Amino acid sequence: MATVPQFFRRTALAAGAEAPVVRTESARIQRDPFLLRTLPQEDVFFYCKKIDNSRLVREADPESRGKCWSAIGAACVALALLTGVLAPGAASTLAGYRIEVLRAEAHRLADERRALELQQAELLSPQRLEKLAQRQNLVTPLSSQVVHLDNQSDSAVAMVKK
Amino acid sequence: MVDRRLTWVAALVFVWGAAIFYNLIKLQIIHHQDYVQKARARQEHLIQIPAARGPILDRTGRPLAMSLSIQSVTVDPLKLPDLKLNSSLLANQLHLDEAELYSRIQATFDSRRGFLWVKRDITPLEAQNLQALNLDWIHVQPESHRHYPKGTLAAHVLGGVDFAEAGNAGIEKALDAELRGQASQALRLTDARHRGIDQQLASEGRAGATIALTIDERLQFVAEREIAAAVQAHNAVSGSVVVMNPYDGQVLALASYPTYDPNQPPASVDDAGRENHATGVSFEPGSVFKVITLSAALETTSLGPESLINCHGGVLTLFTRTIHDSHGGMGIVHMWEVLAHSSNIGAIEIGLQVGREHMYDYVRRFGFGQKTGIPLPGEDRGRLRRLPLWGATSLASISMGQEISVTTVQLAQAASVVANGGLLVRPRLVLKNNGQTTSPAPPVRVIQPETAIKMRQMMEGVVLEGTGKGARLEGYTAGGKTGSAQIYDFAAHRYTHTYNGSFMGFAPLTNPAVVVVVTLNGTHGQAGFGGAAAAPVFRAVATEALRILDVPKDLPERQPAAPALIAANEAIDDLAIADLGSKQPNILEDAGDDDRPASAIPAQAIASPAAPAPPQSAVPNFRGMSLRAVLAEAAAKGLTVQPDGSGIARVQDPPAGAVLHAGERIRVQFAR
Repeated sequence: MATVPQFFRRTALAAGAEAPVVRTESARIQRDPFLLRTLPQEDVFFYCKKIDNSRLVREADPESRGKCWSAIGAACVALALLTGVLAPGAASTLAGYRIEVLRAEAHRLADERRALELQQAELLSPQRLEKLAQRQNLVTPLSSQVVHLDNQSDSAVAMVKK
Repeated sequence: MVDRRLTWVAALVFVWGAAIFYNLIKLQIIHHQDYVQKARARQEHLIQIPAARGPILDRTGRPLAMSLSIQSVTVDPLKLPDLKLNSSLLANQLHLDEAELYSRIQATFDSRRGFLWVKRDITPLEAQNLQALNLDWIHVQPESHRHYPKGTLAAHVLGGVDFAEAGNAGIEKALDAELRGQASQALRLTDARHRGIDQQLASEGRAGATIALTIDERLQFVAEREIAAAVQAHNAVSGSVVVMNPYDGQVLALASYPTYDPNQPPASVDDAGRENHATGVSFEPGSVFKVITLSAALETTSLGPESLINCHGGVLTLFTRTIHDSHGGMGIVHMWEVLAHSSNIGAIEIGLQVGREHMYDYVRRFGFGQKTGIPLPGEDRGRLRRLPLWGATSLASISMGQEISVTTVQLAQAASVVANGGLLVRPRLVLKNNGQTTSPAPPVRVIQPETAIKMRQMMEGVVLEGTGKGARLEGYTAGGKTGSAQIYDFAAHRYTHTYNGSFMGFAPLTNPAVVVVVTLNGTHGQAGFGGAAAAPVFRAVATEALRILDVPKDLPERQPAAPALIAANEAIDDLAIADLGSKQPNILEDAGDDDRPASAIPAQAIASPAAPAPPQSAVPNFRGMSLRAVLAEAAAKGLTVQPDGSGIARVQDPPAGAVLHAGERIRVQFAR
């Protein structure tokens, strides 16, 4: 059964790479024992290499650009379609919430109006009005005190308007 | 090697996809309905939208009955997790007595019943607090509750509703199908938090119809006030008033006393206050029925208002019975005098000339013995025996208003015939049904217009010269007829000394705007006769009706008042004599005549408490006096002066010597 390193080694060999360097025991013995060992990365020198790419010109690739724009366009269309499909549903749901709230409010206001109408009717009941009138020492006018205006004539209305 | 792995990967992807596809098929096809139902059960709720019971209005649109939405709390005791704890929680939230609520819940639980009203008509705050608890065993249910904002006003017309808001009396019962409406159903879509998202109407409902009555609230109040005062003043058992438009049959007021508050549940099953005496209780009409007798005579015989009728000196023997008239001194008099002075023997003489067949025919034509069709449950048709069942003296009895029973509304219908020129119009209570004006039933000709006019003139004589002087109106002409029928005691088989005092009349005479019929049941003594007890109620109600209807006056403002003693004497002369001593239920054997000389009867004995108060005092002459002197004299005499200007009193209204009534002021104009 092959291990992962073996797998890579075999693939490297198959690709024609060089054989790996095998270290031998003799190479370590020949080293001067009084010399300090080199520090890690001691033999690496860094310097700033200036690269001038200004003269490089990107090679025109109309095909990949077209693909890119096609992809962008397709994404936009897909987004628009998705929005077009989902937005009405979402708006409908939100409007439904709003309508339900308003409907409940309408019912509440209708109930409140009926309650107020009931209260008004109770306050204007003849029994109550008569008690109030008696408290104010008001009496029913005698027949002789009642003057009937002619409903057919506009004179009374005109008199009031004046 | 690579191909083999790719093959495996592809196989895995395929299996994965296949599993998804299988589940999709399972979800969307195989178990589709199950999941749809589950989703609907969670998200969709079928809610009932109750149709509010329609309001009942008076003729001017003032509400007499209306329904309000309320919320009530119910629980299923069988599903409560902990009776004690839950009772405590509910009692705390609903401000109830914890021990009492626990006992109720425990009792319901013990009886294995799964429903209990915890509290009805809770406040919005209580409902909000309960819903915030989000407990599935607490149910807050919307309900509708009937209110009668005017209390006892028109209670017998309106009726009432039961616990399920179904009509159980009056218009509420008669028009229950229209008033009730039909609830609609809606499908409500909710989210996980039970918030509504959408709502679709599942079934269309129908709102309860708005019923506008012909009743006028103000007039109804006056009628109820006056009849209540009269019943109490005369120690009567009950009373009723019907005010009706004689031309289209619109009932403007229908009052019955004793009354009740429809907002309150009945005290007992046989609550006497709930009986409608105007339509549901018939009585012997007595002398008011002479109007029918005389109308029939004018139609079928050669008799006229000036025809002479022999009253036989007040005594008449029919078969084996001797009849004593209430006017012993009356001999041969005019027919109009028979009506004005309410002569029983005169009425019998006229009735005998009419004949049995014609009398029965006209009694039926005037609508007696049959229901008027007024839309109130429990209407009494009265009692009119069929012609073959009439006895030897039935014609005489019916001629003077006995051996027959009628209701107050039947009398109003009959009086309308005379008032409108001879047409029988059916009384009606519903003006508009859901905005649609109801049309009256076509009138039926009963008597000729000439007959009606003659009857009106004779009935005016009753008010001006006869027994109905207490019904005389200020500023208006009026016609009417009094009636005082003794009440028959079926247990003792004799007539008692209690009376049905009644008055039926109309005003003004030439073009009557209203018909008013007043009946007092169970009055006592002479003060309980129709002229003394019922006529003043007619006067008060008719005066108010004519004012409300804005009917122009047809008489000068003030008329000299008739002497009180004469008026009192006339008031007692309408007694339909009944059998006071005999075991026989026949009124014609009466030996106890009430026809006493006027001087023998003290005016105080028949003075009606419901009669208008006497004038306070005469207006002094302020002319030439200073403001200070006028005020001092007015204060000394208890008068109210409304001064205008300064200086010396020059003009005053009312003038000096005029009679000042209660509540009136004297306007005095001062000038230098």
